[in-house]
Amino acid sequence: MSADERNAIAREAPADDREARLSEWMRSAQDGDTDAYRRLLDAIQPMIRRIVRLKIHDEAAAEDVVQNTLLSIHRGRRTYRPERPLGPWMRAIARNSIVDHFRERKRKGGDREVELVQEEWAYDREESAEGDTRLAPELVAALDALPDAQREAVALIQIEGLSVAEAALRAGVSAGALKVRAHRGYRGLAKVLEGARVAGEWRSERPAGDAATSFEGNVEKAK
Amino acid sequence: MTSGTERLIDGLVDDLEPVTPAIHLRQAYAVVLAVWAAVLGLVLWSQQSPMGAASLFADGVYLTSFVGLILGALGATLSALAAGRPGRDRLENASLGVSAGSLLVASGVCLAGLLGEGAVPSPPGVDAMCLQKGAWLSLLPAGVILSFLVRGWTTRPLRAALVGMLAAGALGAAIVHLSCDFLGAGHLLRGHMFVPLALALLGTYPAGVALRRLGK
Repeated sequence: MSADERNAIAREAPADDREARLSEWMRSAQDGDTDAYRRLLDAIQPMIRRIVRLKIHDEAAAEDVVQNTLLSIHRGRRTYRPERPLGPWMRAIARNSIVDHFRERKRKGGDREVELVQEEWAYDREESAEGDTRLAPELVAALDALPDAQREAVALIQIEGLSVAEAALRAGVSAGALKVRAHRGYRGLAKVLEGARVAGEWRSERPAGDAATSFEGNVEKAK
Repeated sequence: MTSGTERLIDGLVDDLEPVTPAIHLRQAYAVVLAVWAAVLGLVLWSQQSPMGAASLFADGVYLTSFVGLILGALGATLSALAAGRPGRDRLENASLGVSAGSLLVASGVCLAGLLGEGAVPSPPGVDAMCLQKGAWLSLLPAGVILSFLVRGWTTRPLRAALVGMLAAGALGAAIVHLSCDFLGAGHLLRGHMFVPLALALLGTYPAGVALRRLGK
């Protein structure tokens, strides 16, 4: 049975039956039943998306929040009590993810420095897509200088191109913790690279307009 | 469904391991109170003359501040435990309201008592001694509350840690209240009512960091 078929059945079922079925799947998932868990996640993700889209209209941002909610449900699945309905528990987690999203957006509002590093990586990714997979050597050196946890977070998101939720799952931390690590990593990179530029150690031979030059320009603009 | 979300669901399913559901909130609450009662019993048992307990009903300020501390402790404990359970936001906020209100009223009564009795100084070192004793007696309840929070799940570890520390501080202060020989309103305010505040100030950050790291 496909995910769409399962969702259609879940939509047609009376609310109580659906609630009972979701609770049953969650109980089985707590016992380690992967089939029940997949059914549960397939069934609840459209519900979560509806909740999220009521508050977040940007499609990409909403999808991030949906993924963070799924990750939070996964991380917090032991807090679900089988005798209680699943709906309020799931909606509370979705609400928290939405609040986190707005809180983070507010926090990042004036953080131009971080945006610039993210833009820099986006530029490098575009280049990679065109066949050039090299990063500027200075960027590689700066990345090596970061603490392990920050380097891992930046690499998972920017080099492997994973979403925050996927990266968090891979790193074994919460989405919030991964974002904090990545954010610190971006700040660390900006600091190291600006230091290298000021000290005249920026010796990348890549042509003008490449990642290094672009970054240098970004640092200049950030001042 | 987007391919990113599909990939994530695949990853989550692959990552699935059996878990034991967290114990019921009522049970967790009972465990915290049982630990507190055990510490209280031990303190009263080890003390030769529990003057505080004996004089509970003799002094209005003392009685009111004790009731405030108990309600503050019970409310903050429930709020802290609910903070680790998604979907219990209403309980979390309501019990925090009861707790904060009770502690504020109790502190206000002590302050009024202090103004009424004039500047009666406490014996030297007594305030600091009770404050210190309260903080030490709070450590075990704090550990139990934090262990429940670590087994739970919260997106706001610092807030959960703050409420947990307030709860533990109020529990410790209530024990000091029952075992203290000095009844001055100024002392009750400085030596007893400040315990939750002191614990919240000193303990919130380390507890929040611990929660963030251990509860990931």
